[in-house]
Parts: sequence; C-alpha cells; structure tokens
Amino acid sequence: MKALAAILLLALLGCQHPKVHVQQTEEETAAPLASTVHTGDPKSAAQLVAGFHSIEENAWRWTERKFAVVLSTPFGAAQKGATLEVKLSVAPATIERLHAISLSVAINGTTLPPETWRQPGNYTYLRPVPPALLTGSSVRVDCELDKALPPSGADQRELGVVVLSVGLK
Amino acid sequence: MKRGLFLLPLLLCLLVHWASLSAWFRADDFAWLAVGVGRDVVHALFAPFAQGTIRPLSERAFFMAGFGLFGLDAMPFRIVVFATQFANLALVAWIGARLTGLRAAGVCAAVFWVVNSALVEPLGWVCVYNQVLCGFFLLLAFYFLLRYVETGRARYNLGQWIAFLLGFGALEVNLVYPALAASYTFLCARKNFRRTLPLFLPSILYVVAHRALVPLPGTGDYALHFTGSMLRTLATYWTWSAGPVLLWTPLGLPKAALLAGVAVVTLGLLWFLARKLRGGTAAALFCVVWYAATIAPVLPLRDHLMEYYLYLPLIGACWLGGWAFAEAWRATARARVAAVALAALYVVLVLPRTVHDAAENRALTVRVRNLVEGVARAHELHPRQSILLVGVDSELFWNSFPDHPFRLIGAGPVYLASGSERHIDAQPNLGNIGEFLLPADVAANALARDELAVYDVRGPRLRNITTAYAAVPREIGLPARIDVASPLTSYLLGPEWYPVDGNHRWIPKRATLRIAGASAAGQKLYLSGYCPDELTRGGPLTVTVTVEGSTQSAALPPGRNDFELAFPLPASAVGKPELHVTVEVSRTIRAPGDARDLGLAIGVFEVR
Repeated sequence: MKALAAILLLALLGCQHPKVHVQQTEEETAAPLASTVHTGDPKSAAQLVAGFHSIEENAWRWTERKFAVVLSTPFGAAQKGATLEVKLSVAPATIERLHAISLSVAINGTTLPPETWRQPGNYTYLRPVPPALLTGSSVRVDCELDKALPPSGADQRELGVVVLSVGLK
Repeated sequence: MKRGLFLLPLLLCLLVHWASLSAWFRADDFAWLAVGVGRDVVHALFAPFAQGTIRPLSERAFFMAGFGLFGLDAMPFRIVVFATQFANLALVAWIGARLTGLRAAGVCAAVFWVVNSALVEPLGWVCVYNQVLCGFFLLLAFYFLLRYVETGRARYNLGQWIAFLLGFGALEVNLVYPALAASYTFLCARKNFRRTLPLFLPSILYVVAHRALVPLPGTGDYALHFTGSMLRTLATYWTWSAGPVLLWTPLGLPKAALLAGVAVVTLGLLWFLARKLRGGTAAALFCVVWYAATIAPVLPLRDHLMEYYLYLPLIGACWLGGWAFAEAWRATARARVAAVALAALYVVLVLPRTVHDAAENRALTVRVRNLVEGVARAHELHPRQSILLVGVDSELFWNSFPDHPFRLIGAGPVYLASGSERHIDAQPNLGNIGEFLLPADVAANALARDELAVYDVRGPRLRNITTAYAAVPREIGLPARIDVASPLTSYLLGPEWYPVDGNHRWIPKRATLRIAGASAAGQKLYLSGYCPDELTRGGPLTVTVTVEGSTQSAALPPGRNDFELAFPLPASAVGKPELHVTVEVSRTIRAPGDARDLGLAIGVFEVR
C-alpha cells in the first residue's frame, strides 16, 4: 500500500520522462521531383500544388476548375524546349451538363493555346513549351478549365476533369 | 447461474465498446495530459481550468498520474475507464434489483444502459472519464444508502458520506446526490428521510464556493439560460435517450421514423410508470427523479448539448425500462411479446449508432496517434529543425493542434503549411487556425537556412517532402502575422530583440520589425503580449508604435498583464508589400540577476 502511494506521489510530482512511442516515417529519396507526375501515385502528392481531389481507383484524381502541378524540367529543356503532356478524361456527366469544356495552361505566366472537347472520352493535351520557360530546375504548370461541375447534393466537390498524368517530355 | 447473469452486462460492454478499449487520445485529452507539466501539484490539482471546472480526481490526478506513469500509452487509461464502468454496471444491476425487487430487472437495466449510444464518449474519449467516475461515486453513495436503510448500520451511512464527498472531485453534477437520497427516502423509506437532509449542506457550500471562485459565463456556449429553452433541451435529450444520439442512425432510417420509434418506447415506459404509481410503488417515481435530477444541471446549457451529458440520467430511465421488461417477462404471454418488441425496438434504435460511433471515434484517434507519433519520429530525425505539416484536414486539425499534443513529446515548434486553412473548417469557439500557420515567406526563409523539415500527413505514415516542397515556386511576400516567439521569424526582427523566451520575446525600450502591409483599408496592427506588474508600478505604460511615419500610442494600465493593443494603420500602408514598424515603451525594468533593460514581452504582431 505504501509502495502504491509512493508511486502515485511520484507520478503526481510529474515524472519528466514519459514513454512516447514513435512511428516510422518515410524519408526522402535522392530524386525528389519528377518531370512527369502520375496523379494516382501517392508519392506525387507533393507535386500536386493545387486543385486536385483524392486518389480514386489507385489511378487518377478529379480536379477542380483550376489546378496546378510542379514538375522538374527535363535535362536539356532549357536549350531545346519540351512537350507538355496532360493525360485526362472528360466524363460523360461533364459533357451532358456543360456541353463542352476547354483547358488552358500557363507556365511561368505564359499561356499555351487552349483545347476544347465536346465529347466524353480520354484525351491527351500536348503543347510544345519554349526553352525560355524552362530555365529553372523546376516549373509550375497552372491549368484552368473554362467551367466545372459545381458542388451538388450527391458530391460536394467542384469537378473539372479526371487527370491521369502531367509531364514534360 | 444467478451470478453469471450479473456478468452479462460486463461482457456486453466489452463486446459493444470493444473499439473504445483500443482507442487512443484526441483533442482535450492532450490538454489534460499536460496539466501537470510545468505547474506545481497543488495548482495543477485545484486551480479552475476549462470553463472554470475543478475536477481534481477525474481529470487532474487521473491524467497527471497516468501521464507520469505511462506517458502516451492509452491502454492503462482505458483499463481504468473500463474497470470503473464495470463497477458502475455491477452497481446499476445491484441497485436496480433492490429498487424493483427483481434481480433480472437490475441486469436488464445495465444491459439497456450499456447499449445506449450516449455511452460512447465516456468510454471512448478519455477526457470524459469524469462522467464515469462521477457515476461511480453517485451509485456507490446510493448503494451505501440502501444498505443503511436495510441494516441501520452507521458504517453504511459513513460510506455514503465518503462516496458523496469524493464525488465532488469527479464532476459538478455530484451536487445533486442529496436530492436523490432525499427523494428515495421520502418515497420509499420515509423514516430515514431526515437523516439525508444534512447531505444538502456540502452541496450548498460547493455551489457557494464554486460561484465565488469561478464566475458563471454570461456569453458563449457555456452561458446559462434559465428560460423555456430548458424544456426544449430536455425534450431533445429525451429523444437521444430513447433513441440514437443526435437522432441519426447508420441504418439510414429517416428522422421521422426514429421519432416514431422514440415515441413508442416512451409510451411503453409511461404506461408502465402509470401502472406502478397506481399500484402505489413509489420506487418507479424515483427512477424518473434520478433522470430529472442528474440532467437538470445541464438543461440551462442551451447552446452546448452533448451526448455524454446523458450518461448519468440514463441510469434512471434504464432502471424503469429494465423493471418493465423483467416484470412483463414474468406476466402474461402477451405482455412478454410486447416487452420483447419494445426492447428490440430500443436496441435497434440505439445499438447500431453505438457500434458505429465507437468505431468512428477509434479511427479518429488512430489518425491522431499516427500524426503525433510520426511527428515524434520526425523530431528524433531532425532535432534541430521545426516541423511543417502538409495535408492536415479539418478532422485531424481540430482533434490535435489546438490542444498542443506535440509539447508532450518534446517536439519543437510544429506548424501547418500555408494554404492548409483552405482545408480546415473555421471553428472560432475551438481555436484560431492562424496561430499554427507558418506563412509561406517564413517557411521559404527557414528552408533556405535548413531550419525546417516538411512532412506530408496524407497517408498512414508521415512522408518527408522537404526537398519537393522547397522546390515548388510560390508567390511569397512578408507575412501579415508574425509570431515573434518562433525561432523561424527572427529574420523579420531588428537587432534590438532579445532571444526567444517561452511564448514571447522581450524588447528593450525600442525595437523594430518588418511585416506585410494592409490588404484593405481599415485594417489595424494588433500587438499582443504580456506586461508584468513591475512595468506599470509607476503608472500606465505607454506603448508607441510607428508605421510608415505615422505614430500612435496606447496605455497599458496597472494590473493588465495579458494584453492586445490595436493601432490603426495609415492609408499609405494599404497594398504595401512591406511595412517597417517601430515599437517603443515609456519605461523599462531590470530583473534581479539580469542586466538587460526589459521593455515589454511581446508574442504576436498581426495586420488584419
């Protein structure tokens, strides 16, 4: 009984070394930034800067009307430029309600020619990117749709398009 | 067999609340775990905290001893919670049997109680242990009263007094015990009635002392409303008693159907109550008195309805329900069918919600544990760096950050990445998200100095994304809020500032800093900090702030220690990327053994 009282007293006086469990973390690897991000890969989340919803089917993500990624610039791109490739899918519900949807992309403030889709399906948005825009080690790619499905009762998210990957090649 | 019957509620408790047994900590738990850290024992045990409550046994000693002995291992806390609940179930069954004269009625009461969804938080959220422990003391005191009434032995009366007085260390609701004891003896053991009256004295003294120490809040969620709203609150609580809390069930039943179910259960209980009262069995009325007396203290809290407030009142309702069921079971076949149907209806109404909520609560605590223990590992790996977290959502934030769990693991400053606020619902009554945000400019500077490690929390493990985060180009400008106590903001301060000292920095007579300009006309510069009495002994301390050539002054009167001052900004400050601010005080002091001139202890500057 006395021992129990002593233990309780010690505890009340505040032992300064509480037991703390730690959980392992995933530390960085040598190549942190990719020039192509696959949105279904959880490891690319850090490069999805804005406007992406959660991963679905381990393969893709819905976007909001505006979304952005950061990509590393491929080797030699500062001299010869690169091609921006956005693999995406336009959902039937999007065309049904919006009739058409356009994507425009800006890199470092310079807007690339937009593209419009009027049918649901899988598409690839391809645009050459001039070397002058790719002089840094990384680049931010800002994408903007002209419209998006607003939040509704069934889904409280703003839905633009389904993006599978964004890359500079 | 008969003893085995008493084990049924205990086994059912384990089965239904299994998820709670393995839950971790969340939200307020962290504030209570830290209650003894950096405080002397007497202050930590007895000073009013959190809405002025003083619960030395159920909160202070419980958390201080638990944290001191076991740190952030939740299992010992759970064992204590469940052990107390087992004792409560045994007492509910025993007292129920004595009140009704039917052993089965007591067991049924305990079963009805344990499946109710109002028990999820008392068993699954450690900081609500106050309900469980208060229940123990109330039930134990009442057990002793019944034994005293039965035997007349003074030791039972003494036991009642001891349990009753200890109950004040668990929860304020304990003060209703004299009403319970007096009601029971008046209704069922009149010759003992007068002996219960002295019990009112400690309750009256407790109320007087509590009111003297802690003024009642006049505004906010905890304001008391002695109006007709109390009846509406009672009605709401009753629907949560006979049905699922918040009138929602994972079965997807519409609210109207749930209300209909609640009405049927209620009518069944009322019919049984009326029948008993007609037959002159006053103990049935005592069950109602128990419900009414234990819920009465929370009825004025019109804007703060909590599921766990039903933990104690439900005992009375369950005694009545258990009694009705046991008696009907022994009556005609028709009565038995009706009793089974009503009991099944009640279980269908409440049990799915109970199991759902217990699992959901556990999942939430596991998310918080992953975060806290992940940060502990990150701190081990990067002991000299602050930690910035990306991907914290609303649920994770409100169950961790505001109660500062990271100080319990000795981690240095832990921040939210700028932009996180877009994914976190504002809840001003719970805290200010802005306190934890690290402005992008401060983060960029800290990354450049290798003072920051960045982790993504969106996953089962924390993932270090420091390099990727640093590589992302961001539009940055000076922050509009500067926590001067953060080691990461020192590049914004002039050379006059003294080093970080806890949650503030001292300035000498004059100090300078840089901050973002106003984003709109009418914004002010807010300056918060601490002014010790020594600085105002010679009269009010004048604080003068100069911004863009415009000088303003404010006075800190004696006795005003924690302060926030607001200074209007000149029109020229609007839209400016950078403001140069000078703060000057009218006098300084020197502390014994400290050669520095101390002007003011400042915590935060903010333009808003």
